[in-house]
Amino acid sequence: MTQNTLANIRNFILLTIAQVLIFSQIHLFGYATAYVYLIFLLKLPRHTSKNALLLWGFSAGLIVDIFCNTPGINAAAATAMSLARNAFLSMFTHNGLPDDFVPSAKSIKWGGYTVYSLLNLLTFYTILFLLEVFTTGYIIPLLISISSSTLLTMLFVIVTECFSHRK
Amino acid sequence: MSSILNFLVKHNHWFLFILLEGISFVLIFAFNNYHSAAMFTSANSVAGNLYAAISDVEGYFSLKDENTALHEHNRALVEKINAMQEELSAFRDSASLADNRYICEKSKEGYTFGTARAINNTVNRTDNFITIDKGSNDGISQDMGVFNEKGVIGIVYLASENFALVQSLLNSKSMLSCRVKGDNSFCTLKWQGNDIYHSHLIDLPRHGRYEKGDTIVTSGFSASFPANVPVGEIVELEDSDDGNFYKAKIRLFADFSKADKLFTAGNSNRKEQAELESSINKEE
Repeated sequence: MTQNTLANIRNFILLTIAQVLIFSQIHLFGYATAYVYLIFLLKLPRHTSKNALLLWGFSAGLIVDIFCNTPGINAAAATAMSLARNAFLSMFTHNGLPDDFVPSAKSIKWGGYTVYSLLNLLTFYTILFLLEVFTTGYIIPLLISISSSTLLTMLFVIVTECFSHRK
Repeated sequence: MSSILNFLVKHNHWFLFILLEGISFVLIFAFNNYHSAAMFTSANSVAGNLYAAISDVEGYFSLKDENTALHEHNRALVEKINAMQEELSAFRDSASLADNRYICEKSKEGYTFGTARAINNTVNRTDNFITIDKGSNDGISQDMGVFNEKGVIGIVYLASENFALVQSLLNSKSMLSCRVKGDNSFCTLKWQGNDIYHSHLIDLPRHGRYEKGDTIVTSGFSASFPANVPVGEIVELEDSDDGNFYKAKIRLFADFSKADKLFTAGNSNRKEQAELESSINKEE
């Protein structure tokens, strides 16, 4: 348990630093930004309590917000994704799983993991971009931003998954 | 009663969810209204110092280009000073002593200039900000103008003790009072999003004559900038949406993605001007 928590904190710090220093600076074609810190939220164990999930989501979002000058926007979107996460996960799992069950391409198959990640990322990006542009309100650029950012982040989710399998 | 309690305990994560979303939304809205929100941006001391350290390292990679640009800028300044001295001596020759004093007093606008370095910079959002390494301890305050050797960059939005957040021209909320060089009517520059090299003048008066390539400079009315700081040049001219004005697409002189060495313009008379203007608003 404590080992798990320590590993969680380590992943949290590494991904947040990578997010702030590298990924937030990259913006493909003016639309797509990858938020790789979400991988941390995707990979939290199944047994993590709902309250803990929400707090992890909120604090990760808030830290990224502070560094990117978007106070509250990432925090709101990541908290909402944390709430929806377990509902998405239950579509691919059954009851009676071991305590340390972690969502991955191995545990719920590539198909399951991809759809699970896509649903989570779509939830996150829809809320994020709606909050970011809700004063300007252009529909088409909004849809392009949501879909391209989701796909870009999905790419990193898959790459991470491939590497974690080799171990 | 106990069933209600059970229900509340079982679904307690919903309360946490609502609380956290509530905090997020307070942050989203507070950021637009209150200065204390600086703590939740990269102008806070932890994020500011981290960005300053990284930018120190990054700075070494662009030293050569930076030096060439500075050199060129110095050259241009020397040229300008020369031209101005010639102009001044021409005035001295032609004007009487009294007139001469008038010219000197009139040109004293009360601006002081400082230098600052951009330590964090975004260009990819609807509302872009630049964090600079000078804050209220260095005399930076809200609404001061920020520019570089090419042109206007933005206006100080929030200042903490050692850092400040600059609202860049690439921000949907930025409005800059401008003037077409060689013409006295003034107009407003407003960014329409997405394109980091261009912005728009939204209310060019129809009675003026403008052409592609005309230079746009600051009007000097906003008290953030002295008059005649370059902004950009006209690349396209069309009717505004309501047809009462011209709308012009402006190529911005400053390259926002490379903004690093900056100048700040502080006006010692600004406070007085702001107080005067707000007293008029109150009377209305």
